Amino acid sequence: MRNRLKVLRAERDWSQQDLAERLQVSRQSVNAIETGKYDPSLPLAFRIADLFGLPIEDIFLKD
Amino acid sequence: MPEKVTTSGTGFAGRQPGLWALAFAAAMCAIAYCEHRGILGGWRSLPFVAAAALLMVPLTKAANNRQAAAGALSPATRRYNRRMLIWSVGYVLCLGIAMTVRNYLDPQGPLLWAIALLPSAPMIFFVWTLARYVIEEEDEYLRYRQTSAALIGLALVLLAGTLWGFLETFGVAPHVPAWWVVPVWAIGLGLGQMIMASTERRAGRA
Repeated sequence: MRNRLKVLRAERDWSQQDLAERLQVSRQSVNAIETGKYDPSLPLAFRIADLFGLPIEDIFLKD
Repeated sequence: MPEKVTTSGTGFAGRQPGLWALAFAAAMCAIAYCEHRGILGGWRSLPFVAAAALLMVPLTKAANNRQAAAGALSPATRRYNRRMLIWSVGYVLCLGIAMTVRNYLDPQGPLLWAIALLPSAPMIFFVWTLARYVIEEEDEYLRYRQTSAALIGLALVLLAGTLWGFLETFGVAPHVPAWWVVPVWAIGLGLGQMIMASTERRAGRA
């Protein structure tokens, strides 16, 4: 699954570590999600959507 | 919540758990060689085995530093590393004590049973440590990563055990004691972590 996490993060001038702290996950998790290596669970996807103030489908895109 | 990078000031060895693992393996091989040549043996080996087991301390610290640098050191991971350190030192010491008692006291009956069971006792703690990590890890990706690596270790144990078992059954390979499952699983766990890290690097470059 593709996602816009990197773009959304860059728009806010956040590092991976900044985003990780806001989501209370590891930087490695943010990196794995950003690079498409790992698809987050639904609860984490909702946390990400809440943080950016966007619907999930505006962040995670079908391949 | 994962911890921030805290590796400033740590040298090369402080970030290389593989280096310490190699040092431990080399020390144990050297002790085994000295025992084979009759230089060491029984209680004389114990201080050397204990000293080699102490290499687990810098190994664990280096693993913590490396995981912190990679942004992957959660409180659950730190606890897992500490418990694995306690287990591995306990395992090596129990094994050393059991071998020494067997070689020097020639135990019989219940004492023989007790020392035969002694090296297996820390395995209860080992299994508990694995279970606690899965329960305590709040970071779903780290939990997925560790579980995947453990499954790769399990796959290696099943493959190697079945392969060797049939080779033994058909009389074309010598007998290997069943306690080898732990070292084989640990090798598989290490391989699994290397595979996961390599996949992450490839995904990062793509």
